[in-house]
Amino acid sequence: MNLRFFSATGFSALALAASLSFISGCDQAPGASRAEVVERPDQITDFKTLYTQNCAGCHGNDGRNGAALALSNPVYQAWVDDATLQRIISQGEPPTQMPAFAQSSGGMLTDAQVDALVKGMRTAWPANGAFNGLTPPASQPSGQSDAAQGQKTYQTACAQCHSKPNQQVTDPTYLALVNNRTLRTLIVTGRPDLGHPDWRGVVNGQVQPGYPLNDQQVGDIIAYLNSLRSDTPGQPYSPHSQQ
Amino acid sequence: MHWLKDTYNWLERRIQLEGPVKDAILHPVPKNTASWWYVFGSAAFTLLLLQVVTGILLAIVYVPSGAEAWSSLQILNHQLPLGWFLRAMHGWGSNFMVAVVLIHMAQVFFFGAYKFPRELTWILGVFMLLMTLGMAFTGQVLRFDQDSYWGLGIGASIASRVPLIGAPLVHIMLGGPIIAGATLTRFFALHVFVIPGMLLAFTGLHVWMVLKLGVNEWPMPGRPVNRKTYIKEYHDLAHNDGIPFVPGAFWKDLVFSGAILAAVAVCAAVFGPYGPTGQPDPTIIQTVPKPDFFFLWLYSVLSYLPANLETPFLLIAPVLGIAVLLALPFYAGEGEKSWHRRPVAVMVLALVAVSWGTLTHLATFTPWSPVMNAWSGATVPAKFVHNLSPTERQGAVVFQSKQCRNCHALGGEGGQRGPALDTVATRLTEDQLIRQVVQGGGNMPAYGTSLSPPEVTALVRFLTTLHPVGQPGATDASRADAETNSPPVKAQAH
Repeated sequence: MNLRFFSATGFSALALAASLSFISGCDQAPGASRAEVVERPDQITDFKTLYTQNCAGCHGNDGRNGAALALSNPVYQAWVDDATLQRIISQGEPPTQMPAFAQSSGGMLTDAQVDALVKGMRTAWPANGAFNGLTPPASQPSGQSDAAQGQKTYQTACAQCHSKPNQQVTDPTYLALVNNRTLRTLIVTGRPDLGHPDWRGVVNGQVQPGYPLNDQQVGDIIAYLNSLRSDTPGQPYSPHSQQ
Repeated sequence: MHWLKDTYNWLERRIQLEGPVKDAILHPVPKNTASWWYVFGSAAFTLLLLQVVTGILLAIVYVPSGAEAWSSLQILNHQLPLGWFLRAMHGWGSNFMVAVVLIHMAQVFFFGAYKFPRELTWILGVFMLLMTLGMAFTGQVLRFDQDSYWGLGIGASIASRVPLIGAPLVHIMLGGPIIAGATLTRFFALHVFVIPGMLLAFTGLHVWMVLKLGVNEWPMPGRPVNRKTYIKEYHDLAHNDGIPFVPGAFWKDLVFSGAILAAVAVCAAVFGPYGPTGQPDPTIIQTVPKPDFFFLWLYSVLSYLPANLETPFLLIAPVLGIAVLLALPFYAGEGEKSWHRRPVAVMVLALVAVSWGTLTHLATFTPWSPVMNAWSGATVPAKFVHNLSPTERQGAVVFQSKQCRNCHALGGEGGQRGPALDTVATRLTEDQLIRQVVQGGGNMPAYGTSLSPPEVTALVRFLTTLHPVGQPGATDASRADAETNSPPVKAQAH
């Protein structure tokens, strides 16, 4: 085998390849891609950028595992309409911690950017067939609700989990930080990212007793929780230790 | 080829440069100056030439007008083939030039090369350093983006603090009361004509004196400079134990200059051009402007200084610093050159270098400044969200929405103004957390009036969950005792 021949041709081939890749790669040098155009903050309509800058802090990366509601939950995306999303992003949801983001309400986002967020969520987190043919409770309360009936429903449907010390939703501090719409949204759409069921009550593949909840039952449970609200919520010490 | 020789002779008979050039390149220098330590001056000169060439090419496209400067840089970055590379070469060339000039100056100081008879060479060098920094600042202004706009604003407000003439000074600097089109044309003239012209003239004189006075010999302990004998000693050294400057010492200059140019090109190709960042529009408040690296130390100093020391520092310290540099060759014009015999000089150099490096490093992550968008952009790490009670999870939402995150990091993200809170529950009990949130203290504002009781309670419940899995949170022993033992009932008096 003629080693000298191989090394000579090998070297020239290598040199040729290197120079070709250098010439063809001139505009693709790593530095070229760093010369990006920085848009005006109010011109950004890219969903990923807007979501990361404004929403991810509370709602989590990719709309899950955040402290606040999981926006990527397909049940939530199927249940909520565009107008509601638009209104909540623009005007906030007092007295919860959701702030108003639209410039018209003192925020930093233009109407076009709020629209981009709503459209982007619909594209990024599709809701196809999330209800599995069932009809969920309505997003708006209807008819009369009954707190006493709600307490009974709570005992059968909710208490088996929510009586555990780490799952208390009857804590007046908690109730002071959520409103009826938050409660309705959580009961109907759940937190699948944290393993919390929606209105169908499926836990570990089993439908729990008392489920699925209907519209009336959801209204009653909310009425019951409202009856537990305190005039002076958030006192850190139990009455016993205050004596 | 005899026509070539004829042309050369025809020209030489009229210009007569052959003699001086031969003298310059063949003049003997002490053998030990042919060292890799002596290459920084020529490298700075090479970088100056690079800046001139790339600068001329940039000036062909750049439009020095407030309305068009930013977009002309976008044209360079995106529409002209390799325009981005040209900008990157000029930008990185400027970084390297400042760095190499500073190293050159440190080396000259370290080697005692400013001593007799090279005092004036040093003084010219001090002015050349100031001009280099002036080029860096005006160049940063010409890259008319948000950093440039606010950097110029800070420059103007520094100028405005000069007693008596502050206001007219700002007016001259900005071409009016505000940063506008007239500002940019002024800085263009400074950056392209005034400062480079002076810098080139000073460089010529500086190099002329190096050639005339000779390259500083390698400092030897026990061979102090004496005004009466030095010239003869140096002459003997250069002629008895010397080599011609070219090629004896020159090839190292050439190699190092080539390496520096290659380093600039590699940095330019890999890291790309500097900005431009966002448009220079003062209505855009979502910006965190920072100076380029050679002024980062000043940014740190101003952040740490108490407000009442800012003006004295800004107006007195530079004057003193320059005065010290200019006075140095007169104060220490004779004596030992070797660092073995100049402990104070070595310590001063080390102190300045370490301070400069520390301040620059601090400015890269600004621990004194809140990160104003951390609350909405940095997520609560998922491990802190799972297995929370509903109240605790609401507390995590309060933690984000009340912007605690802007000063407190969690999971390595967030501001560094306050302590990171990943394990705060091991340091503070629930009661201590409530007190800290409500009353503040230790640099933290009191939030008692801006948070409702349920918000404080939920927030603190969340904070009490922030401890490592195997390590329980801090507890108040007396509280558990009070919960379980009812107070002793007083015996009723009969």
